[in-house]
Amino acid sequence: MFHWLEQRPFFFAVMLFLTIAFAGFIEIVPDFAKASQPTVGTKPHTVLELAGRQVYIKDSCNACHSQLIRPFKSETDRYGMYSLSGEYAYDRPFLWGSKRTGPDLHRVGNYRTTDWHENHMMAPAEVVPGSIMPKYPHMFTNTADIATAYANANTQKSLFGVPYDKEGMPKLGSWEDAKAQALKDAKKVAADMKNQSVKDKVAKGKVPEIVALIAYLNSLK
Amino acid sequence: MNSMVKGGILLVIALMAATYFMAGDAFTLGDDYINDLTMLGAVAIIGITVFVSLKYINQIKNDTATGELASENWDGIGEYTNPVPMGWAIIFIGTIVWMMWYLFVGYPTNQFSQIGQYNEEVNEYNTKFQNKWDNIDEGQMAKMGQSVFFLQCAPCHGAEADGMDGKAQDLTARMSKEQILDVIKNGSNKLGYSMGAMPPGMASGEGAEKIATWISTGMKGDAPAEFGACSSCHGPDGKGMNGMAANLSGYDNTLLSKVLEHGKKGSIGTMPSFKGRLNKTQVTAVSAYLQSIQGE
Repeated sequence: MFHWLEQRPFFFAVMLFLTIAFAGFIEIVPDFAKASQPTVGTKPHTVLELAGRQVYIKDSCNACHSQLIRPFKSETDRYGMYSLSGEYAYDRPFLWGSKRTGPDLHRVGNYRTTDWHENHMMAPAEVVPGSIMPKYPHMFTNTADIATAYANANTQKSLFGVPYDKEGMPKLGSWEDAKAQALKDAKKVAADMKNQSVKDKVAKGKVPEIVALIAYLNSLK
Repeated sequence: MNSMVKGGILLVIALMAATYFMAGDAFTLGDDYINDLTMLGAVAIIGITVFVSLKYINQIKNDTATGELASENWDGIGEYTNPVPMGWAIIFIGTIVWMMWYLFVGYPTNQFSQIGQYNEEVNEYNTKFQNKWDNIDEGQMAKMGQSVFFLQCAPCHGAEADGMDGKAQDLTARMSKEQILDVIKNGSNKLGYSMGAMPPGMASGEGAEKIATWISTGMKGDAPAEFGACSSCHGPDGKGMNGMAANLSGYDNTLLSKVLEHGKKGSIGTMPSFKGRLNKTQVTAVSAYLQSIQGE
């Protein structure tokens, strides 16, 4: 009955592989493809937020803070709605983290504000008594790398098809446009800050790391 | 008795000796029947293994195959034509039919899901919360408010609710003079009271100073004449006319729920909205707690 198949061992092996792989294929691929679609309302990071994201990675915030809220009442009470995989569609790389020495930050933009972050990054223990988080005063003096952030966004746009410049999505445009937009966003953040040297720097067209980082943290919703 | 059976018996004895050597001193026969059963099992495993292997080795050595060869062969290795037994074929076909049924009809879709479990957990909690705190008394209310405050409010307002040296609103007092002057100058329109937005510049200069001083010192004695501009909305006593406008004298439930819903932007900074994070009882509890710590 199957001699026609058994006479062709290579062909037989390929067909056998496809037959067995088919079950896995129909179970895994559709669900995976659906879950990796961006959720409605998820937008790519703006250039300033990306610069802040680089600061977040550089200072290893993800070593102590996760960005993934699990579906348990105890977590959603404290951090807000549980995370969905589509929310990370534009995160390259994602920053789920694996250990919570500090609290989760996936929706920190919903319940902390610019002024809180400003006080907290300068001296965490003064805002949260008993906090073991180190101080980050250097973020108030270091300048954020807007150029790399633009290159990052541009690469994501051209290589991975991240929808910058589409309708209702953040604008990227040329380097000059993006730089001007990032500065405009930075001014908005700085307007809510108290530190005069940071305000002066932004007024002079420089973006301190703290401004970029706060813009990023505020965008986590 | 051929040499293979002799070899087999020798192997069995060797394996049993090795077993005894490894584990024999751990028990004495008849001491504990579980140990005896275990040993009996070991002996059975050794015996069965050796004799089953012997059977197949013997078969490989001595058996000759019979039957009709199929036409194809692989480097001289051929295959007999063995038709599929009928019973086996029926089971095979039946399995495929069952698979189709299971895939399209019988698949249990009403099974465990992570989100389903989460929803159940939340519902269960909410029911429990409601049952437990349906008839809550005032003392429990303030206590609940305190614990909610520690979790949700203390990160900014401080465990003492004093705003940590001006980093956030000092909740042990209503408003400072500077804050009142700021509101009079800039207006306020975020809280969604039915009186609507408060326009900027309702008073200025000395009049604003007088109003601010009077309110910030606890509204004692007669109101200054300039307060007339405020009282049309906030009421002559400054209590907000039963929730029509913000209460200037203390943190009542309406004020608190409005601030928690809409957030607040004032001279200190921005407070985010806590919409959906606290339920009604919890909001009432927090305002009860705030009222209990006034003037500390």
